[in-house]
Amino acid sequence: MTGVRLRSRASLSVSLLAPLVLVALTALVGADGTPSLQGTVTTILCNLVIVLGLQVFIGNSGVYSFGQLGFAAAGAYLAALLTLPAAFTALQTPSLPDPIAGADLGPLPSTLIVVVACGALAAIVGLPLMRTSTLAIPISTFAFLIVVYNVLANWDAVTGGASGLVSIPRTTTIGSAACFAALASLVALAFKWSSSGYRLQATREDEVAARSLGTGVTRERLIAFTLSGALCGVGGALAVHQSGVLNPTTFYFAASVTTLTMLVVGGARSVFGAVVGTIAVSTVNELLRSLEGGASVFGVLTIGDTPGLAAIGVGLILLATMIAMPDGLTAGREAGELPWIRRLRAMRTPPVPAPAGAVGVERSHAPAVSQTLSAEGIAVSFGGLHVLRGVDLTLRRGEALGLIGPNGAGKTTLVNVLSGYLEPDAGSIALDGIDVSGRSPARLARMGLSRTFQAALPFRQLSGLESVAVGAMGVGVARRRAVEIAAEVLERLGMREQASLAAGSLTPAGQRLLGVARALATGPRYLLLDEPAAGLSEAEGDELVAILRAVLEDFRCGLLLIEHEMSVVMSLCPRVQVIDNGVTLRIGSPDEVQGDPAVVEAYLGSSYTVAIGA
Amino acid sequence: MAQNLIDALALGSLYALIALGVTLVYSVMDMMNFAHGEFIMLSAYALYVLAGLPFGIAVAGAVATGILVAVAAEWVAFRPVRNADLSAQLVTSLAVATILQNVVLATVKARPKSVATPTFVGESTQVAGLSVPNLEFLTLGLTAAVLVGLGWLLYRTRAGLAMRAAAENFEMARLLGVRADRVIALAFAISGALAAVVGVLLVMQTGQVSPTMGLTPVLVGFVAVVIGGFGRMFGAVLGGMLLGAASSLLGAYLPDSLVSFRDAIVFSLPVAILIFRPQGLLGGATGEARV
Repeated sequence: MTGVRLRSRASLSVSLLAPLVLVALTALVGADGTPSLQGTVTTILCNLVIVLGLQVFIGNSGVYSFGQLGFAAAGAYLAALLTLPAAFTALQTPSLPDPIAGADLGPLPSTLIVVVACGALAAIVGLPLMRTSTLAIPISTFAFLIVVYNVLANWDAVTGGASGLVSIPRTTTIGSAACFAALASLVALAFKWSSSGYRLQATREDEVAARSLGTGVTRERLIAFTLSGALCGVGGALAVHQSGVLNPTTFYFAASVTTLTMLVVGGARSVFGAVVGTIAVSTVNELLRSLEGGASVFGVLTIGDTPGLAAIGVGLILLATMIAMPDGLTAGREAGELPWIRRLRAMRTPPVPAPAGAVGVERSHAPAVSQTLSAEGIAVSFGGLHVLRGVDLTLRRGEALGLIGPNGAGKTTLVNVLSGYLEPDAGSIALDGIDVSGRSPARLARMGLSRTFQAALPFRQLSGLESVAVGAMGVGVARRRAVEIAAEVLERLGMREQASLAAGSLTPAGQRLLGVARALATGPRYLLLDEPAAGLSEAEGDELVAILRAVLEDFRCGLLLIEHEMSVVMSLCPRVQVIDNGVTLRIGSPDEVQGDPAVVEAYLGSSYTVAIGA
Repeated sequence: MAQNLIDALALGSLYALIALGVTLVYSVMDMMNFAHGEFIMLSAYALYVLAGLPFGIAVAGAVATGILVAVAAEWVAFRPVRNADLSAQLVTSLAVATILQNVVLATVKARPKSVATPTFVGESTQVAGLSVPNLEFLTLGLTAAVLVGLGWLLYRTRAGLAMRAAAENFEMARLLGVRADRVIALAFAISGALAAVVGVLLVMQTGQVSPTMGLTPVLVGFVAVVIGGFGRMFGAVLGGMLLGAASSLLGAYLPDSLVSFRDAIVFSLPVAILIFRPQGLLGGATGEARV
């Protein structure tokens, strides 16, 4: 099947071309200008490469790093040392090891070495840092920046210490800077729209839900961190070959704040935003800087010698953006997604064509040794509260098992244990005969166990089609195939209309159904649904039952259904397990369970049992 | 040896004071406040501006400055982003820090200014054969007083109860009638006062002020909080103590060729700790989403 696309050709072309056009225009403004203007424009383009590096990590992960300028610094120093003529190197850094000191490379080979070296450095640094939390990463990357500064400022023999390096060949021109900036924007877009980029964006929108779809948060962050480090290194290398001088403060705290402001002002989620923000903030910054030495504005206002004026301006712009316009000038959209462009060209994401082929979930047909998900003796306690006390559960492929029980019985806790979100104090879990106790949610999803949550947890900024495609991408399906699977799943669930809309804009019922679609796109052999009908109207609930029935037939997966709406459970599940107070009360058909006095008592209390004479 | 341990304890106390100021705001508002370093810097500049007055009055002025700046920053900049996510709040505080630092740079200029402090601060006292700088006694004493005072405030007063409730569960505390604006303003005021104490101690240590003097302290505070586990008062004190002790002992025992890389080693420490304990030593809440 062909023809399923995440965005229309027109939207794609505009999104790709807009950054290139802006880069070209910027370069043209400087090309015929005074030497000073040329220098300024070249600097802006070098900064743009660094800001695009920031966008790759910060924009897609939603996690701030204050350490990316450390990679720019590393790239700048490496590039400078590789290109400094040997005679100068010997003067400035006497004890530099020979291969680097003797190296006298041109700008291009040195830049290629910088790409590899900074990428490798970022991978090594990121390996421990990406394991920590969303809030610890900004701080530990900030610490990394200070470590880099401290090393550069004190390793006199190699870096020239606090006074830095001079006489570095000035080989970066407006043209070469523009080429690298254009290339960097294409790389950033290609990453954003790759499987890895989409998985990372899903973790930004909702980390918990992304993990249930097979996405390893640490792994995706590390990939982006590495690419970002390489891009920042290139930006640093370009910049040092523009200015010809370098010292440890060149890429330090002030530069971190400035580049971050550029990214945030444009809109961090968008590559186009990174370009717009860099140009806008650079312009203001340069204007203010020209006033710092003292100037008279239109002969009215006289400004004395005020260092820090540009930085105050940058700080105020950043503050105003965070308060009034946190999504930035582009609202986080690429050029082809801007509302006025869409209106202009009447462009829309193409409607999803009706699927032509078979069910796209190949794994469903794979034979398995023992086709059950089984849990034995699961026990969980929170402090002194025993939530589960030795619960067994068996879910066969192709069956629907209802899991019911009064509030606080431990149903959701059991699902959290089965799906790897919670480690039990005791008990074991086997998936098709393999012991999977202690495995992460992402790994379980890749093995064919997926789930939904009591809350819909939508990927708000992604479209319906993208949200579902992330499900398939999470378990390792290639991007193109993942989009086809997503289109098929949406079609099965009657959600074609919602494919092109942002997930955050759907109705609660739509978001809930999209959650089911996402989970189905992983090709689950076992699907755990935690109260899918909660908050839906009766009509919507009926529709959900019909859809789930079809799912059971089409996808042949084992379905575990937690539900308070008894009619949903009774009409869908031939077998029902009742748990209460952390133990299994009864397993049986809906009729058997409903007739069991112990079950009635658990739900309604003993006085009720007595009153009705049961 | 004993001398080095006392030095380590003194620096650890100073770092613990910084970390307490950072974690106090974090616990009620979930915001890591970059501007805390600038609260320290501005309090120190208050000492410089009030240099002609008796030192006690100048110190009171510094504390008042710390409190005022902190409360004003909360009112102007942090209140509008109170409901934004953690990262957005962090970036907002970065903007505030940049503005404050560069306003000082633009008005008082970049060159460090020297500030005279009472002579007894620079002298040492003989204790059991050791010559201990008076400043270290002062630091240890102030830290102990702050810990006792903070403990009293948090556990023996109504305002403290409200703050602890807000730290546990902000929304629930609000529903139960805790006034959010007041609790947050109070946390910022205390945080600003702590910053001022640190600012005064730093001036006594170095004898000077400069616009960038807040950068290293705020990083120290952040890293200490990460090491100790987010939002734990005791964790912050422990993290600060560890970081200060490590820094001080490395300074004393590293070979000469490596001493200048002390900061690089000290700030790599949290990475080493986070490899083994991604949630910090005391494993507090880390902003991770719950299922």
